[in-house]
Amino acid sequence: MHPMEGRPTDGELVERAQRGDLAAYEEIVRRYQEVAFRTAYMITRSGPDAEDAVQEGFVKAYQALATFRTGAEPRPWLLRIVGNEARNRVRSAGRRLRFEMRLAEGFRPGDAAPSPEAAAIASEDRRRLLALVNGLSEEDRLVIASRYFLELSGEETAATLGIPEGTVKSRLSRALQRLRAQVEEGARA
Amino acid sequence: MPEIAELEQRLTELGERVSWPPTPDLTDGIMARLKAPMVIRRPWFQSRWAMAAAVVLLALAALLTYTPTREAIADWLNLHVIISRVSELPTPTTQPSGGLGTRLGLGYPTTLADAQAKVPWHIVVPSQLGPPDEVYIQLPPEGPPQGEVTLVYKSRSGIKTSGQTGVAVLITEASGTVDDRYFGKMIGPGSTLEEVTVKGRRGYWISGAPHTFFFTDADGQFRNETMRLASNVLIFQDGGTLIRIEGDLTKDQVLGIANSLS
Repeated sequence: MHPMEGRPTDGELVERAQRGDLAAYEEIVRRYQEVAFRTAYMITRSGPDAEDAVQEGFVKAYQALATFRTGAEPRPWLLRIVGNEARNRVRSAGRRLRFEMRLAEGFRPGDAAPSPEAAAIASEDRRRLLALVNGLSEEDRLVIASRYFLELSGEETAATLGIPEGTVKSRLSRALQRLRAQVEEGARA
Repeated sequence: MPEIAELEQRLTELGERVSWPPTPDLTDGIMARLKAPMVIRRPWFQSRWAMAAAVVLLALAALLTYTPTREAIADWLNLHVIISRVSELPTPTTQPSGGLGTRLGLGYPTTLADAQAKVPWHIVVPSQLGPPDEVYIQLPPEGPPQGEVTLVYKSRSGIKTSGQTGVAVLITEASGTVDDRYFGKMIGPGSTLEEVTVKGRRGYWISGAPHTFFFTDADGQFRNETMRLASNVLIFQDGGTLIRIEGDLTKDQVLGIANSLS
């Protein structure tokens, strides 16, 4: 995390929160609630369950904050706790809903204005690739969504999914190989 | 065939366009809960908190004793620890009625042979204590993925029996591992934690009033579990089995029992 002028770093906030500064913890919650919510949503596929997992996770993290190691990155640690809460909810509900990611409508800010034809082709390519990702196994999809859609690091992905970092690497590598084969198959078809 | 790097690039671009549900502002709800009196949620063993005032009394007593700094605990555990030192413990409800298995949430009564037939790992028994007085098994979904077996020793010479439960020693075995990076406990104020060697392997000896610890179960899932007796506990890994021994024991006593497991 890069310190910005007038904006405390995550480390500073954690230290203040460890000393009992609730306002500092509130700022940590604000900074991380979006990535935590999306992570929990990716796992639970349910908005209310994701909300619940994030709330519970942040409360538990606060309770465990007193002994959080000074100098460590809080993000993987928080994601591990939230990810664990999310997985517990999926397990106890016994649900196996399919995780269907969708594309946002329209252009994202900063897009160059493409020709209508180029835009249509690019959009169709993305739609196809996303359909292939959605069709992957749960394990493959979670690891790909964590790394590329949520842009989590390897350590954060491991923490979120509750698996060792080495497993993330091997699972991701196999998932990419499978996806590549499917992309190729689609191109030939 | 597209290169993996190119595929990764396309996935990253795709990620920028993926639609997520809007993130609700959860700050107020979280902060309200943190400002309210603390309640620890127990995913598995709600009823175990019913375990009575002994926990609270022990914790209160422990409050008055020496508390190691978290740096000291981090040193023992080689960092990456989740240890929560709670300042308040939940108020216990009245003790539930029923047999020991129900009261302590151990599952249902069984025999060693029957339990062994139901779990894939080898159940170990301490020769020092002999055969257990009672055996309980907890299978999924209440228990961890490959089940959990508890050996109950009601009285053994030289070991104080818990007045609340009438139990001297509880040995709980489950398939799982201690995640060294994240081994952690939710311990009451005043509990102390020490790293020990058990059968040549690393173990953790916690004295005071420990409550919850985190471990990785047979499915590789990170989960937390609550101690049954408000007493000292030794936690260690024997092969693929996670074993904990709870009781009003000294460190030497518990290590003697642990080393006699086979």
